[in-house]
Amino acid sequence: MNPERESCLVEVLDRLLNKGAVLNADLIISVAGIPLIGVTLKAMIAGMETMLEYGIMEDWDKSSRELYASQETHIPLFPGEQILYKTFGYLREDEGLIKCWVPGIWNITSQRVILWVKTPGKVLFETPREELRILRVPASHEVRKELELIYPEGSARISLSERDEFEEALAWAAEATEVRKESELML
Amino acid sequence: MVKEARYLYSVARTGHEVMLGSIGIEKNNVYIVPYKDIAAIVHACDAKPYKTEDKKLAEGWVLEHSYVIDQATKMFGTVLPFSFDVIIKGNDDAVKDWLCRDYENLAGELLRVQGTAEYSIQIYCDHAYLETLVLAKNQELVDLKNRIEDGSKGKAYLLKRNLDMKLKNLTYSETGRLADQFCSEIKPLVKELKVSGRTSWTPEKYKEKKLLATYSCLVSDEAVKKLGEVLEAINCKEGFFVRFTGPWAPFSFVRLQETG
Repeated sequence: MNPERESCLVEVLDRLLNKGAVLNADLIISVAGIPLIGVTLKAMIAGMETMLEYGIMEDWDKSSRELYASQETHIPLFPGEQILYKTFGYLREDEGLIKCWVPGIWNITSQRVILWVKTPGKVLFETPREELRILRVPASHEVRKELELIYPEGSARISLSERDEFEEALAWAAEATEVRKESELML
Repeated sequence: MVKEARYLYSVARTGHEVMLGSIGIEKNNVYIVPYKDIAAIVHACDAKPYKTEDKKLAEGWVLEHSYVIDQATKMFGTVLPFSFDVIIKGNDDAVKDWLCRDYENLAGELLRVQGTAEYSIQIYCDHAYLETLVLAKNQELVDLKNRIEDGSKGKAYLLKRNLDMKLKNLTYSETGRLADQFCSEIKPLVKELKVSGRTSWTPEKYKEKKLLATYSCLVSDEAVKKLGEVLEAINCKEGFFVRFTGPWAPFSFVRLQETG
């Protein structure tokens, strides 16, 4: 096969903003020793979470992951509640002044869906799994995979790289609950 | 007003003063500042970074930067591409001073990438197909599957959960094994290879597929054909798909040591 010179804008941006040579700060335009190489553009074009996905902030991400690992906290569960599935993702925060995607671990338990932040150990979102419905949000972005969680009191927008798996896990958890209810009835 | 800084696109191997014309960012006049047999490709600008709130404008700048690198490559062969918004303080003399000071380093890098280009390879696989392969090869899983079909609803549910977990783990290790195998086939044909677990973009036709591996490769011009043949063989395997793009300037492979 022959290589194609096919490249979409995202790939060109990835190359030009994240790769390529740079020079040390004393030669180039910088503020307080910090080179201003495309910093504003990176932030604007990519957005914070995309920067993580593209690896622009891999070092930052690595160190924050190490921090997460060093501070062991545990998600508060009800008696008998079990975690069935967990995956990394985000919650859209639209209230308040700053609108952003808040990262955390999405947990599907035998009773609830919970967004858990390990450090400092905080539940950012929770809703009972029963009566929860999910809708796929059409892709507004090349990379992010979004879902709308709809529950009796409202709705939330979330984003997960393993969206398919999350949906499957949720369906599977619902099925498992049904099976358990049936067996309890039989008893 | 005299422009007191130089926007840097790339460094190329040439000793002649050439004008590339108004092809730069915002139609700026792009020219070269030579030192010995190497040169910086620049345009004159103010000593402040390119900055805007307008996303379309910013994207346009990046594309213009990319275009200049492509043109320079056509004229001078493989260049050392610089990241967006690298602006050298001072006039052409400051650029020349830098070229002089870093000459060994820059000339060495130019020599290293001469006659090569960067290519990008993404290998996708059909996850469902891979699972059927794994399932067919593993007797334990086949037995488990048969027991699910015979069992009661509650038992079947537990067995299915067990099967899914085992299948997921085995498919995951199979993915790793295949990625290693493909990597070992590609590696001897390229000068350098960088593995990345992600890709910044997935074309529509691969959206439903699983990304097995992403490689950035520095490839000699004469090895491209052979690499294409190896990738073709992978692409022909059932359930596997290869995206092979390039040539690009060696964005992932330029190494400039810090100078004091």
